[in-house]
Amino acid sequence: MLSWQTVPRQSLFTRLDFRSKLVLMLGVTGVAFLWESPWWGGALTLGTLVACLAAGVTLRYLWGIFRLLLPFFIFMLLMQGFFAGPLIIARTRQTALTPLLQLPEHWFLLGGATLSAEGLTYGLNIIFKTLTMVLVTPLTIFTTDVNAMLVSLVQLRIPYKVAFVFSSALRFFPLLAAELHGILEAQRLRGLDLERLALPRRISLYARVAVPLILGALVKSQQLEIALQAKAFTGDPLRTYLHEARLRAADYALIGGVVLFLLFAFIAYFAWGMGRFSV
Amino acid sequence: MTAPLVVLERLSYQYPRSETLALRDISLEIQRGEFVGLIGPTGAGKTTLCLALNGIVPQFYGGRFFGRALVAGLDTVEQPVHALAARVGMVFEDPETQLTATSVENEIAFALENLRTPRAIIRQRIARVLAVVGLTGLERRHPHELSGGQKQRLAIAAALAVEPAVLVLDEATSQLDPAGAAEVFSVLRALNREQGMTVVMASHAAEELAEFADRLFLLAEGVLVEEGTPDTIYSQVALLEAHQLRPPQVAKTFSLLPEPPVRLPVRLEEGLAALPKQLVGLEPPAVISQRPHAAPMISVEGLHHRFADGTPALTGIDLAFYPGEYALIVGQNGTGKTSLVKHLLRLLEPTQGRVLVLGRDTREWTVGTLARHIGYVAQNPDQQIFNATVMQEIAFALRQLHFPPEEVASRTAEALTVLGLEAVADQHPFSLPKGDRARVIIAAMLVLQPQVIILDEPTTGQDYAGARAILDLSRVLHEQGKTIIVITHQLYLMPGYAERVIVMGKGQVLLDAPLRQAYHALGVLRDTQLSPPQAVLLGQHLCPAVQLLTPEEVAHCLATSQASGGDPC
Repeated sequence: MLSWQTVPRQSLFTRLDFRSKLVLMLGVTGVAFLWESPWWGGALTLGTLVACLAAGVTLRYLWGIFRLLLPFFIFMLLMQGFFAGPLIIARTRQTALTPLLQLPEHWFLLGGATLSAEGLTYGLNIIFKTLTMVLVTPLTIFTTDVNAMLVSLVQLRIPYKVAFVFSSALRFFPLLAAELHGILEAQRLRGLDLERLALPRRISLYARVAVPLILGALVKSQQLEIALQAKAFTGDPLRTYLHEARLRAADYALIGGVVLFLLFAFIAYFAWGMGRFSV
Repeated sequence: MTAPLVVLERLSYQYPRSETLALRDISLEIQRGEFVGLIGPTGAGKTTLCLALNGIVPQFYGGRFFGRALVAGLDTVEQPVHALAARVGMVFEDPETQLTATSVENEIAFALENLRTPRAIIRQRIARVLAVVGLTGLERRHPHELSGGQKQRLAIAAALAVEPAVLVLDEATSQLDPAGAAEVFSVLRALNREQGMTVVMASHAAEELAEFADRLFLLAEGVLVEEGTPDTIYSQVALLEAHQLRPPQVAKTFSLLPEPPVRLPVRLEEGLAALPKQLVGLEPPAVISQRPHAAPMISVEGLHHRFADGTPALTGIDLAFYPGEYALIVGQNGTGKTSLVKHLLRLLEPTQGRVLVLGRDTREWTVGTLARHIGYVAQNPDQQIFNATVMQEIAFALRQLHFPPEEVASRTAEALTVLGLEAVADQHPFSLPKGDRARVIIAAMLVLQPQVIILDEPTTGQDYAGARAILDLSRVLHEQGKTIIVITHQLYLMPGYAERVIVMGKGQVLLDAPLRQAYHALGVLRDTQLSPPQAVLLGQHLCPAVQLLTPEEVAHCLATSQASGGDPC
């Protein structure tokens, strides 16, 4: 349950302040958006993946995320492969694309569409953009204690109530995940072999999870609210804090590094075309 | 005499959208330094009364509030809840939902931060209250890493940090195992007796309240029925039983004598002192083997299990469950009880060894197919409800498994009748009380006609009447030929139901014996920090060889010996 919130071991990332990690997240996301080259984008994804693993985010978790996104990636690859042609021609001023496959003319709607190598490459670029943004989130969130996150957000002048709601949602997530697991287990314990059912029936059974899940969440949130009230919680902006968030040398170095990297990436992109889509 | 700390004057309260009063015309006073117990069956108004002391009733819930509640001179309706929170420390039933921070020190600091306490003082208070509850050194630990007892001690520490005038605990030990509950009571006793902390505690733990409380308030249907010392309240056995409450077993035992003493003992030491000298010459009962000759229904062979992080959960378990048995699995939380039964259902896979159900390795079964032979009711019935009516819930599995409509109807009707749920068949399961929701799940499982039924902590969080109702149902199913396996640590409930006891400790089977023998294996029980029922301890004192189990047996033995001038019973 804890692994949803925090990585199990200490590392450079767990010692960094949340604010500097936010800068890292914004910087990496910005560059991921900027670069269209799948090679540069892939390198950024790889770098983020290595950082995740170094920070202690488990391969199992990352594989789970990848499997979840896999249908989207396949869809994106095919969509771009077949239909990104005009966009690529406009961007690269190329006159012809490299065809790999053409769909039969008589096919409804898709008939005659051509899968191009350039389209697939452009699809890869979008997949890497998405993956980078997906990977940088656990790198930032999972390596930060929720209380430390809250203190950092407040020091960023985010209203305490907003920061508290954000941190509470993160705390609540594992409880809901455990609840969901329990309900799915309960369905199997009614004699149903979910894994052997056809997809439509499985989906209809999963839909039933919503009622107990929402009711359970409502009950838990009311209990939590009562517990908070009993602890004098009012969202008072003048409340005090046991800990304070301090930016240390490593944080300043990271922020500086991210800013320099961002500047370099933008200058190189516009001045020398580094990261532009090319074939 | 100083002014009372808590004054309730003709307090009545009605929740919004409720047609009845949760509290009716309650007047009482609590003095500084008192340890007060609130007792009463489910729905008596104990929780509402606790919440009225810190203003959450009516300020959070709304509703209609009559009369007046003063705590430390503050009117709980006029003062905001956060101001009252500085005077009233609250500890709730569920350790999971009341701990909101991600470290022990942050949990304690939270209320102080909300009250704008300077950082230096927060640090001092953390150190002080952790020492009081015995959690020093765990400041950086995540609350989820603590045991149940430690979590409730942390909740107490967090409440104490604001230096409240009164500590209010609402069923704070009901979800804990005996060791955890003992930890909490021990902290409360020290706080009350050594530091003079006023404690108000709603609880079903009769033996502990008799031991620790100065006064008890008996509530029923929102009315204050009786108030007095534990001696006066717990010696009124008929009154308690009329309100579906369980007296301490000591009091119950002496109340059953043909000529009960004028003042019933209510604490174990008093009961032991009131017993005659040990009776001798008694023959031990013949221990009849409980093992049927039939082939085992479930066999566990050399079972080991390690969790994903490498923690060993089960170590070398060899067991067999036979058709028609009623077995009890006991042990502290974390000793592997639930892990063991999850292996029977293939919800966990053995790391080593195997489990056979009806002679076949569970690896050859799917969970769904196993569930048609073994019904499992988890501790929290709410996670097992996902239909809009009781009838749909019960018929769910049959419909999904494509049983013929006539059979769905007949099996559902039968389950509704057996479980006494006909009247609520069209209601939403969540609209029923917790005990009834558990019955709905049992019914939903029974329609598949499993041969084995596993009840995991079925009595946790239930009052005495609710617990007995579920266990009575288990007895009916057992009499119908089902194999019943119950996990619990409430040993006093189980004589008369279970036949065999499996005591677990540290992932191993420490003892597997007939119930009478197991309950008197005091050394084994002590090793795993289980408390034998008071009747067993009285029986040990009176005539250990006979292995008495219940207040009725002890009283019978005592009465017989008195009638025969001290001869053996």
